[in-house]
Amino acid sequence: MHNLKIINLTVEVEKKKILKGFNLEIKSGEIHAIMGPNGTGKSTLSKVIMGDPYYKIIEGDILFDDKSILKLTVDERARLGLFLGMQMPLEIDGVTNADFLRTALNIKMGNEFSLVPFIKKLDKTIEHLKMDKKMIHRGINQGFSGGERKKNEILQMYMLEPLMIILDEIDSGLDVDSLKVVGKNVMDYYKQNNPGLLVITHYQRLLDYIKPDFVHIIMNGKIVKSGDINLVKEIEQNGYENIVEEKKIISGTCIVKENLKNE
Amino acid sequence: MNKIRIVNDIPEIVSLNDSIEFTVLEKNELFSVNSLKIRVKKSTSLEIEYQSIETTKLDIFINVEENVKFNLFEFREGNNNKIQYKYYLEENSKSNITKFYNVSNIKEMIIVNLNGKKAEFNYNFKTISVSEEKYDMIVYHNYSNTISNIKNNGVNILDGVLTFNVSGFILNNKKDCVLNQNNRIINLTNNKCQITPNLFIDDNNVDANHSALIGKFSDEEIFYLQRLGIDETIATNLLIKGFLLSDIKKSKQSKIIKIIDQYWR
Repeated sequence: MHNLKIINLTVEVEKKKILKGFNLEIKSGEIHAIMGPNGTGKSTLSKVIMGDPYYKIIEGDILFDDKSILKLTVDERARLGLFLGMQMPLEIDGVTNADFLRTALNIKMGNEFSLVPFIKKLDKTIEHLKMDKKMIHRGINQGFSGGERKKNEILQMYMLEPLMIILDEIDSGLDVDSLKVVGKNVMDYYKQNNPGLLVITHYQRLLDYIKPDFVHIIMNGKIVKSGDINLVKEIEQNGYENIVEEKKIISGTCIVKENLKNE
Repeated sequence: MNKIRIVNDIPEIVSLNDSIEFTVLEKNELFSVNSLKIRVKKSTSLEIEYQSIETTKLDIFINVEENVKFNLFEFREGNNNKIQYKYYLEENSKSNITKFYNVSNIKEMIIVNLNGKKAEFNYNFKTISVSEEKYDMIVYHNYSNTISNIKNNGVNILDGVLTFNVSGFILNNKKDCVLNQNNRIINLTNNKCQITPNLFIDDNNVDANHSALIGKFSDEEIFYLQRLGIDETIATNLLIKGFLLSDIKKSKQSKIIKIIDQYWR
C-alpha cells in the first residue's frame, strides 16, 4: 500500500501564487479526479508533484509513503514510482520512442533488464492501444496526432509500471474511439496493478471510462469542493460558477455560526 | 554503392559505376589546393569518406545533370581542413546531401547553384565541434521553381567555436521558389557560437522560412525525459544522440554512434 500526501502546498510561478494551501491524499487503489476551470492550477499541481523546477514551492510538503519528496529531482521521483502523463506531450526529433523507453527501463531495472521481454511487452501494449507499430521507431511523438500522443503517454505508463499515476487532461485531443481505448487501457492497468490514480480533466466523458472514487473541484489554487461521481453530474448541470457561489454561502454560514458560539 | 575514400587530399575509388564521372583536376601549386570533380549523369548514391591527418585544402565541384536524383553521404574525420564545395544542379534534378563531421579546425565554403527549373537541393549537416569551425554557405536560386532545404546542426563542446553563415539568394522574376533554412547549435560551453542566416529575396512570389537557434536543450525537453526516471546527464546524452542522428539513415548511423559514444558515454 502506497500513499501520496500533498499538505498545505503553496506554489508560485514568476511571483504569482498558483496553488494556495492545497491538500490532497491519494492511496493505492484510489481513483481521484480533479476538475476545474482553466487557469486554476490543475496542470501546475501535476508538474509540482513530479518535481518540475520551474515551479517554486513557498509552503507545504509532498510526501510519498510518508517521506518528503520535495528535495528529490524529477527522475528520482519517477524511480520511486510516480508517473505523469502529460497534457501536451513534447515532440523530440531524433530520439526514438524505442530508445527512450529502453533507456528508462534499463535505468529502472538495472541488471534485470532484458531486451526480449521488453520487446514482447512493448508489442503487446502497442496492440492493446491500437497504435501503429512503426511509431515506436519514430522520434518521440514525431508527426503524431493529438490522440496518438496521448496513447503514447499511456504506453509509457504501461512500460514503466508506476505506483502512483497522474494523468493531466489525457482526454484532450482524443476522438470518441481513442478515448474509449485510452480509458479502457487505463482501467485495465488499474485493475492489474492497483496504483493510486489522479485524473485531471475538464469533461465527464473521460470519467465514463475511468470511474473515480473521489471528485474534487479546484478553483483559485485550492480544492473548494469534494464528493463522489455525483459531483461530476452537478458540474455538468450547473457549471463551476454556481458551485463556487454555493461554497461561498456555506463558508459564510459557518463563520456566522462560529461567531455566535464565541459570543 | 559508389564509394570514394579521400585520405588527406589523395582520393581512392573504392567502387564507382558509370553513373558518376570522377576527375582529379591538376593541383594548384600556388595555393596548394587539390580539386576534384564529380559529375552525376544518372540517378545514384555516393558515399565519400574523408580522413585528414595533414593540413588539407580541397575544392570539390559537383554537377548533377538534368532529371537525375543524387544521394550523397559524406563522413569526415581529421583536422585542419579548408574545403570549398561548388554544386551545380540542372533542371529537374534532386540532390539529397547528408554530412557528418568530427573534425578540428575547419573552414568550409559551400556554394550551391540551382540552375534549372525544379532543381532541388536538400542539405542535412551534422557536426561535433571541438575547436574552431566555420561554415559559409550560399545558395543561389538562379531559376524559377527551384527548392532548397538547408539544415545545419552542431553540438559545440570543449574548445569549440562554431559558426554557420547561411545565405539564400532569389533574384527578381525567379518565381515560385522555396527556400528553407534551419540552423541550430547546441552550445554546451561558454564559448561564443554564431549563426547568421540571410535571405536575399527580390521576388514576391516565394516561400521562404528560416530558423536559427543557439543554446542548450530546453528545460521542457529534459523534464519530458526525466519524467520516466532518466537522470539529467543521460537525458542530455539521449537528446544529443537524437539531434546528431536525426534524418540520417540507419545504415549510416553505426559509425556516427561510435563517435558520439566516445564523447558522451
